[in-house]
Amino acid sequence: MSKVKPAPLPPETVIGGYRIVRKLAAGGFGVVYLAVDTEGQQVAIKEYLPSSLATRGPGELLPQVQPEKLSLYRLGLKSFFEEGRSLAQISHASVVSVLNFFRENETVYMVMNYLEGASLQEFIITARELKKQKVFRESTIRSLYDEILRGLRIVHQHKMLHLDIKPANIFVTDDNRSVLIDFGAAREVLSKEGNFIRPMYTPGFAAPEMYRRDSSMGPWTDIYAMGACIYASMQGYPPNDAPQRLEKDRLALSLSRLRGVYSDNLIEVVEWCLSLDPLSRPQSVFALQKELSRETELSYTKLNVAEKMRLQFDNLVADTKKSARKSAMPGTKFR
Amino acid sequence: MRFSVYQVSRQGGRERNEDRMGYAYTRESGLFVLADGMGGHPEGAMAAQLALQTFSAYFQKAANPSVKEVPEFLSSATMAAHHQIIRYASEKGMLDTPRTTLVAAVIELDHIHWVHCGDSRLYIVRDGALLTRTRDHSYMEQQAHLGRNTQHINRNILFTCLGSPAKPVFDLSGPLSLQQGDRVLLCSDGLWGTVSDEEIGRELSRTTLDQSVPELVEMALKRGGARCDNVTALAMEWETPELFKRARVSTEDIDDGVFASTIQSGVPDPSIEDLDDDAIERSIAEINEAIRRTAERKA
Repeated sequence: MSKVKPAPLPPETVIGGYRIVRKLAAGGFGVVYLAVDTEGQQVAIKEYLPSSLATRGPGELLPQVQPEKLSLYRLGLKSFFEEGRSLAQISHASVVSVLNFFRENETVYMVMNYLEGASLQEFIITARELKKQKVFRESTIRSLYDEILRGLRIVHQHKMLHLDIKPANIFVTDDNRSVLIDFGAAREVLSKEGNFIRPMYTPGFAAPEMYRRDSSMGPWTDIYAMGACIYASMQGYPPNDAPQRLEKDRLALSLSRLRGVYSDNLIEVVEWCLSLDPLSRPQSVFALQKELSRETELSYTKLNVAEKMRLQFDNLVADTKKSARKSAMPGTKFR
Repeated sequence: MRFSVYQVSRQGGRERNEDRMGYAYTRESGLFVLADGMGGHPEGAMAAQLALQTFSAYFQKAANPSVKEVPEFLSSATMAAHHQIIRYASEKGMLDTPRTTLVAAVIELDHIHWVHCGDSRLYIVRDGALLTRTRDHSYMEQQAHLGRNTQHINRNILFTCLGSPAKPVFDLSGPLSLQQGDRVLLCSDGLWGTVSDEEIGRELSRTTLDQSVPELVEMALKRGGARCDNVTALAMEWETPELFKRARVSTEDIDDGVFASTIQSGVPDPSIEDLDDDAIERSIAEINEAIRRTAERKA
């Protein structure tokens, strides 16, 4: 089996009437290109080309799929269509929109709005490196998530769940809009061997029920991930992953470090979203929006001496742990 | 093609029968398949059923009316059956996956190819003697192959099957060219566990299939006693002489497009059923139609 990633289409290739400018990104499910349409409008084109199932030599157009992988390849194609189907029904400024869908080179392509900007993850990492007390200002957090939640509300209204909300999938455009992206990878991931299908989740952002994959998933599952995103926007790194929390939950402790820095209300909202019990979370995006938009008379509670001492001790312990743990967003020392 | 076929499955002393068997044919091709759902894991019968349905669906698609590359067909159908089981488990959020053994054969012209995974067997008997049989993917058979004493080895320990998280190991065999009167038997371990290879060879060729197969199964049930495993046998005799009337299949009179199967097709599975070129085109058209509608609503 080839371990080589399939080669992206070279710049200047024309597919479906769009001219490719360059490769923007490549993931397990395919390649995303920047391209221009016949009127010179920039678009992003996602090509279905799962790296574990298909190969393509440099300079070639057609991917090769081994016969024994064909059924999995088709299965993945179904997920790709699901993403297209979901996005096609939604037209909202905070949800990436799909413009066209076409077949060429024996695979399929999804044309989407091209967004200029950076993911929230990149903003968090940049902000965190400044080593300020706050990663983002509270007002920034409230307005950013208000916008993103409007998009998520529409998604839920269409009876869909995103199921992979994380800062890397929240895009902040240069003209200051925030947009929910990547409805794809669609819920199923093919392993490297291409012989096992398992649900996809991102540790830290995935609610406990995601690990069980039972019927208890619902809007509250996306809401847990939203809570984790808000948490990361305050702390600079994600909360512990759900299995870890189920074993020993340190969330309340780490949130207490933010007391006095962020309002009690915001901290409570995050804690509410991140409840391990799905029923204890806000049950709808609307419920969360209502709480998050409540900006009147915010109170801040300072830590008392005993709490400060406990925190300092905890920082010592946490730092030793963190150096041992490799994480996508490694923690920085707080204050 | 002319052949006669006889199949029987008995529950033995178990609570459920988790063995499944069936055959299907077109004018130029025949498929015989048997699966033994494994205990110790959930829904063994479902795993066996999924394996049969996948084979039947794949065969229906590939045999028009003959299967072009039989070994390739057998290996892709085996992998597809494996994936169907995994998919079923994943969709139901099961903590453990259902598992099954599998043995399947395809006959075209007078050539037979077969595949097996686990300890369900295929026997070919010619002129009253065993011509060949499959070697199980079990610890016992492995040790026997190395010439070791296997008396105290648990024969139920398999190192591969369909549905396990590990990629299945399976063996493709054939082609072997069949002669008139050759008999092919697919069976679960409930049969060979208590009936020896010699007995199977002898009994299978002693008389007509409709007598010898039930006889073999009865023998296994008797020896298996109160806790007897499920016993399942599917036997085929090649180019049966005219005098044997029962369950005789002659594919010569059937039309090109005809597909006959004893395997109940299951819930339509989109990943097998669809996504041929037409389905892909249809999906793309649907999505573009949705894009258009959404854009209209916005305007």
